[in-house]
Amino acid sequence: MIKSKMFLYLFLLFLFVAPLYTQQENSAAKGEVAVGTQGMATTAHPLASKAAIEMLKRGGNAVDAAVAAAFAIGVVESDGSGIGGGGAMVVYLQKEKKSIFINYYQQTSENVNSVNYNPKTDSKSAKAILVPGTVAGLTEALRLYGTLPLSVVLQPAVEYAEQGFPIDETLARIILDNNEVLQRYPATASIFMPDGFPLAEGDTLRQPDLAKTLKHIAAEGKKGFYEGPIAEALVKGVTENGGALTMNDLKNYQVHISEPVRGSYRGYEIVAAGPPQSGVSIIEAMNILENANLKKMGNYVTSTQSAHLIAETMRKIYADRSAFIQDQRFGYVPVNGLESKAFARSRYDDINMAAADPSDYRKTKPGNPSAFDDKRPASKKFKEADVKEKNNTDEINDDPDEERSSYGKSTEELFDRWGGRKKQLKQEQKNTVESKEEEKTPQGDNEIDDSDAPEFQSYYHDPMENDPLLVENIFEGGGHTTHLSVVDKEGNAVSLTQTLGTFFGSGLVVEGVLLNCSMANFSTTSAVNSIEPNKQPRSSIAPTIILKNGKPFMTVGSPGATRIEATIILLIINAIDYGLDAGEANRAPRFFCQKFDDYLHLESRISEEVKEGLKKKGHRLREYGDFDLFFGGAQIIMIDQSTNTLYGSADPRRGGVAIGY
Amino acid sequence: MKTAVKYLLFFLFIGAAFAQEKFQQPILITSAGQSADVTMAGMLCKKAKLDAKTINRAKASDLLGIKTLIIVPGFSSKGLGAAGISREQEMDRVKEVIEAAQKQKINILMLHIGGKPRRGAQSDDFNKLAAEVSKEMIVVKQGDEDQFFSKIAEQKKIKIELVDKIAEALKPLTDAF
Repeated sequence: MIKSKMFLYLFLLFLFVAPLYTQQENSAAKGEVAVGTQGMATTAHPLASKAAIEMLKRGGNAVDAAVAAAFAIGVVESDGSGIGGGGAMVVYLQKEKKSIFINYYQQTSENVNSVNYNPKTDSKSAKAILVPGTVAGLTEALRLYGTLPLSVVLQPAVEYAEQGFPIDETLARIILDNNEVLQRYPATASIFMPDGFPLAEGDTLRQPDLAKTLKHIAAEGKKGFYEGPIAEALVKGVTENGGALTMNDLKNYQVHISEPVRGSYRGYEIVAAGPPQSGVSIIEAMNILENANLKKMGNYVTSTQSAHLIAETMRKIYADRSAFIQDQRFGYVPVNGLESKAFARSRYDDINMAAADPSDYRKTKPGNPSAFDDKRPASKKFKEADVKEKNNTDEINDDPDEERSSYGKSTEELFDRWGGRKKQLKQEQKNTVESKEEEKTPQGDNEIDDSDAPEFQSYYHDPMENDPLLVENIFEGGGHTTHLSVVDKEGNAVSLTQTLGTFFGSGLVVEGVLLNCSMANFSTTSAVNSIEPNKQPRSSIAPTIILKNGKPFMTVGSPGATRIEATIILLIINAIDYGLDAGEANRAPRFFCQKFDDYLHLESRISEEVKEGLKKKGHRLREYGDFDLFFGGAQIIMIDQSTNTLYGSADPRRGGVAIGY
Repeated sequence: MKTAVKYLLFFLFIGAAFAQEKFQQPILITSAGQSADVTMAGMLCKKAKLDAKTINRAKASDLLGIKTLIIVPGFSSKGLGAAGISREQEMDRVKEVIEAAQKQKINILMLHIGGKPRRGAQSDDFNKLAAEVSKEMIVVKQGDEDQFFSKIAEQKKIKIELVDKIAEALKPLTDAF
């Protein structure tokens, strides 16, 4: 009897303790892996991750948590995003098995033409401010897919703004680096440089005016920002400083909710942000790379062939992106073509594995995805006019003569070059993949026998090991924007990226709101992505969710301007081709190259053999630190579907934290 | 009489020595590594009412008429990118301007105000270069947590002033002139 009573007590104790144990938080920074079963949030700041987890523990879902984190990160990482900016999220709802793209990116004012924006002089001024979308996007996401009240999800952001928080090393450095912008407007300087000099690490950053505005939004909802006294103050502040913003702009701002763009990669489904954001470029890249066996070729850190193939793929997708992606309400975007496997195959076939080709990156030509787009409008059927149009699509007029000489051929020749091989390719594809693979595997003097390449773990080393101060150039250059990922216990997932344009946006603060500078995302030399009223600019942001067997396998995204796509591509390769876990994938060395820049930018941890191999192939290298913020600040969650275990990793290149429980 | 002359000479000598301790104006402020800290140095000089001009990428020819060179070390890839130069080119420029300053007997004051963000291998080459040739260093403490600058100051017998915050660099800077 006594024994059975004792057993009963122990059993009850176990029942009491077990849930507490499973509720225990598990956090990880600097790229290490946090583990959880009930929920996972990874953001660029510990307080934002904490806000997300608080919502999950209150019974909220991934959308509640992501919205709370997105508001909070705008306060604690106010250099990268906030309610004065915009962004996008991809949501996956497990029960409905539904993916949703919520586009709340900034858009131009109805009066944008009155601004006479000059990209050379106005990119960090009130003239660069677009109509902010963050409040509309987050409140709409919450209304449609969340479960908690707005006042609850806004509470952490209000607290952080009101009570302040200690500035970390990342923010301290960014304030220091951008002190010229912050000095420009007294309201901004009073927040970030209260004694005339930049706040430093350990100082407390308080934003009482922002707290007031957030409280007003909590009470009034979306209208609290887009109508009434705050809207009036925003209009006054922006217009008095030379920008364009009207009450109509704010009142009429619409969030765009649609199907995300979709693709597949080696049996995984990719779900990402559609145009004018750049998810379709991620899909195009993965489609191109799917034609090769990267696993067999070896990890790009030690395999020149893999690194070269990925680099050449990057160049092609960036060329296509700049040629075709824009706000679809203002012009045709050949989405189906860009997503098509056949188009990708044609791009793959154009890759010269022996050398960087063309050797001048700036001469990389876009492909012709419209020839692979069955749904293209009749006016966009392939014809000579397309050729002329294509000549006007480059953001930079790098070499117009070269472009003309290339495109000035007969329609038949061009058709053959761009689209005529489509049917033939379809037939040949199955047979040629393997043989092409062999053809592309290392051979010759310039190549490396990757069979002897070291395992990933041997070239990866911990950032803290390398430099105890962890200040080695890791926060420099272009880490603006922010990404966060959340997955809840039901399997709902959110991948969210938002931005102010560049660090601290325009530098103008009104009612505590730091306003964006996203006008700089428009092209001023091209018809595609040109400045027009009520239009969204093209953006590199590409929040992405990868599904396996219809369930989330990975949420991924990154800040980092044009490096965003390159970083996401490498992360997907690391996870799927090389089988790395979230932490290993995030810590792995990165590189980037595109059309509008003559360099292949890489982190120093890429092996010397690969660096030499790439040079021999004609790439011009620009080397960065071991873990360089230039290459983004990715936030990853990977899900082990067999155990429903969540693994989160915040990029070591940025001061983020993954928290699971 | 002889004693009076001796005292006079002694005080003249001391006075001259003391005068050498002080930095002279006008001042040229330049970066070593192209970080944005150079702007802060300009603001400090302005607050100290010093006659100073800032040339981020100063050359030897910019030293004409200059009595003090303030070097603000700290690597910034963003800054170098904006300037369109490589790290090596920047290093060569800094060496050239230091050499010219030394030839012209222009005193060098090093102002390291960026703290930890301006440390690490990329910055430390610039830090070491500027610190070792300076006559005085003013350093925000966060940048000297490992005594990087203090050790150089001790080895090279260079005066060093450690301050908690950038704003606190104003006093030692004012006192230096």
